[in-house]
Amino acid sequence: MISEPILKVENLKEWFPVRRTIAQILKGERTWIKAVDGITFSINQGEIFGLVGESGCGKTTTGKLIMKLLEPSEGKIIFKGKDVTHLEADKLKEYRRNVQMVFQDPYASINPRFRAQDVLEEPLIIHQMGETRAEREKIIRRALEEVRLIPPEEFMERFPHMLSGGQRQRVATARTLVLSPSMIVADEPVSMIDLSTRAEILHMMKTVQRELGLTYLYVTHDLSTARYFTDRIAVMYLGKIVEMGGADEIIDNAFHPYTKALIAAVCEPIPGKSNTIKEVPIKGEIPSAANIPSGCRFHPRCLYVKPQCQEDEPILKEIDLGHQVACHLIS
Amino acid sequence: MADTNDILKVENLKINFFTRKGKVYAVDDVSFSLKKGETLGLVGESGCGKTTTVLGLMKMIPPPGKITGGRILIKGEDIIPLSEDEMREKIRWEKISMVFQGAMNCLTPVYTIGKQMMETVQEHKEMEYLQAKKRIINYLNLVGLPEDIIRRYPHELSGGMKQRVVIATALFLEPEIVICDEPTTALDVVVQAQIINLIKRLKKKLGLSVIFITHDLATEAEVADRLLVMYAGKLVEIGTNEQIYGKRGPIHPYTEKLLKATPRLHEKVEELSFIPGTPPDLVDPPSGCRFHPRCLEVMEKCKKDIPSLIEVEPGHWIACWRNTND
Amino acid sequence: MKWIDIKAGFKDFWNEFKNVKFGLFGLILLFIFILAVFLNPYIVPFPEASSRWRDITYWEDNPVSAPPVWVNWFSSTKRAPSLIIREHTFSEEKMRKMKLTRTIFEYEYSYDLPPLDVIFHGYAKGSPVIMLNIERPDGRIVELVRRPISKSDGKIVRISIAKDTRIESYNFGAKYESPEQNRIIREMVKPTSILFSEAKEGILVHPTPLKGAYKIIAEIILPSETDVVEDVYLSLSGSVSGWLGTDNSKRDIWSGVVAGVKWALLIGLLTAFTAVSIGVIYGVMSAYLGGWRDSLMQRIFELFVGIPLLPVLIVMSAIFKPSIWILIIMMSCFFWVGPVKTVRSMGLQIKEETYIEAARALGSSSSRIIFKHMVPLLIPYSFASMALYVPSAIVYEASISLLGLGDSTIVTWGQILHDALTGGAVINGLWWWVIPPGLFIALMGMTFAFIGFAMDKILHPKLRTR
Repeated sequence: MISEPILKVENLKEWFPVRRTIAQILKGERTWIKAVDGITFSINQGEIFGLVGESGCGKTTTGKLIMKLLEPSEGKIIFKGKDVTHLEADKLKEYRRNVQMVFQDPYASINPRFRAQDVLEEPLIIHQMGETRAEREKIIRRALEEVRLIPPEEFMERFPHMLSGGQRQRVATARTLVLSPSMIVADEPVSMIDLSTRAEILHMMKTVQRELGLTYLYVTHDLSTARYFTDRIAVMYLGKIVEMGGADEIIDNAFHPYTKALIAAVCEPIPGKSNTIKEVPIKGEIPSAANIPSGCRFHPRCLYVKPQCQEDEPILKEIDLGHQVACHLIS
Repeated sequence: MADTNDILKVENLKINFFTRKGKVYAVDDVSFSLKKGETLGLVGESGCGKTTTVLGLMKMIPPPGKITGGRILIKGEDIIPLSEDEMREKIRWEKISMVFQGAMNCLTPVYTIGKQMMETVQEHKEMEYLQAKKRIINYLNLVGLPEDIIRRYPHELSGGMKQRVVIATALFLEPEIVICDEPTTALDVVVQAQIINLIKRLKKKLGLSVIFITHDLATEAEVADRLLVMYAGKLVEIGTNEQIYGKRGPIHPYTEKLLKATPRLHEKVEELSFIPGTPPDLVDPPSGCRFHPRCLEVMEKCKKDIPSLIEVEPGHWIACWRNTND
Repeated sequence: MKWIDIKAGFKDFWNEFKNVKFGLFGLILLFIFILAVFLNPYIVPFPEASSRWRDITYWEDNPVSAPPVWVNWFSSTKRAPSLIIREHTFSEEKMRKMKLTRTIFEYEYSYDLPPLDVIFHGYAKGSPVIMLNIERPDGRIVELVRRPISKSDGKIVRISIAKDTRIESYNFGAKYESPEQNRIIREMVKPTSILFSEAKEGILVHPTPLKGAYKIIAEIILPSETDVVEDVYLSLSGSVSGWLGTDNSKRDIWSGVVAGVKWALLIGLLTAFTAVSIGVIYGVMSAYLGGWRDSLMQRIFELFVGIPLLPVLIVMSAIFKPSIWILIIMMSCFFWVGPVKTVRSMGLQIKEETYIEAARALGSSSSRIIFKHMVPLLIPYSFASMALYVPSAIVYEASISLLGLGDSTIVTWGQILHDALTGGAVINGLWWWVIPPGLFIALMGMTFAFIGFAMDKILHPKLRTR
């Protein structure tokens, strides 16, 4: 894991303005939804980096920021040593050849009127890859084989409604692969897919990653697949990273109370739990990103809250090699 | 399977959908029973007929679907011959109620929570306004919501809170059987755990019998006393929590594979196993055992003859030919 | 969109369309209209009506303001209809270098009102002399004209009995009329009414029709061997003419109305197509671009919505005297606002689909997203609204033409109506001049309205009742 970072994110922020009332406009007040509020991390070449958190924690927004589907309010994104925070149209197109995205819902992310072949041909046409139709077809065939849709001929003619959820997600993955990107942002790629095929998709994605030396940013709310799938995990809460480290380290030796709660909440197929009640060490529900608590943003839900937590915002500190935590409980 | 404790008994239930493509065998010859105070888990992939089965229990199959055979006994009374009016007046929500899939979207955005719940009450019971309101507040407290929720609109509530409201509504008319159709699928892990705890608490407190549907074996392990595993419209395995998740584990190859495909947080596995292929089209289900095209241990017999449920140990039933040969 | 896709989609659409009765009726009407355009030469007597509507020579054989032939079915006085007689018997005599030919046309006259004119046509070379006689059923032969043709290499000869035989006809009639009636002014008599009447008292003032077989005999003297008169035929301008009569400029209304079908379809479809295409693209762009661009585009749209179309069109037509193409462009410039609002709201919905975001992530340009992902979804709606704009375009063109501001090189229903208005059709009771073009405008509008409503019903499931 001592390879070059392919992507570096520095103090990245995404604030969405909230519509103001007339009184607020007159007073000059402005409120923001702080979807992503200053996050810093780096992803190494060939690594699978997991971004874990509940809905509303800003993980999807981070994915979109890196994909450049949103313009960041502040901070820097550095890809392969180049600042890509703000890009011109042609540079952006080039960037998107290198960084691709797999979306959560395979039912919605593919145009229902396109056959699998058209879906895969789109990026080739956009980026002017493959001179002739036959050449493009060859690339498409190879991509379909890579995602284990074999034989490709059988799937190329199909419309999305003729494919199962898993097959659609394969097509969506193949769509990113035809451009031979170096990094893929996978936004909950298996959360809408049946459990029996979920493992298959993850397995396929991992095989592809190894074969082609890809880097993944895996955005998920599911710690169990994250452990299986990723090398490193960053846990996000209300727009901030609260804990970051190796996947096994985070799950086996979680430090932050929030990470601990997340882990405790995960259901496991172990017998004899149907009669006992498993308490999750957390209070209440996640507050709105428009109204972030002072100090440590987790403090209203924390069971170990100290007076300091309500005032000072903790910063990420390394507690072990490569294991960083933002919590005042670190003595 | 006969037991005097059975509050619900389903015998050879058959549900077909009559579509343009042909007859869909959505639920085919399903029999099971639900004991009083028990949580029955119903697991299976999407499209295997779990939701259709429970909609059948409420007699709420959307057209072109129809119950084409079998009996549904609630406390010994067959509800299949009952008319729609009788169902609405006597059975639905009174004896058996349901928390739907994606239930938090069931709330109308333009009415307050109180008003929506009040409507359900007044539909079924003649009750004075104040009395009804008191009851609503009681039930909201029961699911762990503060009183002032009744004046709020759905958009002001989080997903977990909305799910609690829906559960409170389902319990309102004191049914004995509650069906929960994937009540936690769209929720975050923490909220999911909270809702599961809530369901467990309510079950104990009110002595409910619960049918809990999910596609996730891990969630089911937390709630179900007994499990029904469904595949392509048929039950393939029935067993207790201990039998399915215990040392010996499931016996049917489908359940076995499904459990292996379920990621476990505290075990570092290099490779998750999975079931190759996709569930069959129920217009033209495979001959013999419906799982045979995806089964790795398929035998000649599996392709021809349909296996029936056989009790291999007390309370553990399997429909698989591999097993009868042992 | 691939062919199979379109085929399957169309099949589904057709299966539903079949069940909408009025839609089917509209479709049948449309089919008839299209058939009328293609079969134009076979169903009208004057196939060049469209291009030669204002060419008097094209119409000169027709009667003026004659009612349609079918008025005979409802009236006890039977009027002679227009007719062209080509059949004739031919004989020739040689007299040294000269040649004398005799061409006999036979006409069976069994009406109460004679034709307005009998015209001899021929193509003459050299300098022949043409003599026209008529042999009546009572055996009397009237010598009508004797006309030497000036020498030429070939020219059309046209001899009209009504115009060229006034004196001869009068003289014939005067022989039988009582002396006091004889004072009638020669210019007032109609030659045909004398020639086709019984030879007795009252022939000039109260003629009684003489029914029977008439022979019109053309004797032609050809002085040299190269001289020739060919392509001879006789045309009778009846006192009733064609399926829809004639106007005061002798034009056949039926031919004009059928010629107008083509223009109505062209104006309607082209305007609707251009306008809806612009509107759909404008609406989608407004939705997709969003932000201040959307606001700006919406304000421009509102500006156009606020302009009253007809007055503007009238003023512009009066200034520019536009051709039909310019008129179509002008109408398109105002019609495009129609679908914008709906399309924009549909576009806003489509824009939120994940596959649009996915396309952006792939690096698609905005135009690619609009044309490849958004517009195809709007095509069904576009077709439905197009069908609904066709009638308005036709009516607007008719309104402009009615005011005399239309394209004068073609014939449209609006222009026929305009001519009827200025020609005093209503005052003179020439109903056959006014009703048909009006009816056709209504029918064409109905056709597309029916089709449009039917499509709307199918493509907008919300409108489905039941």
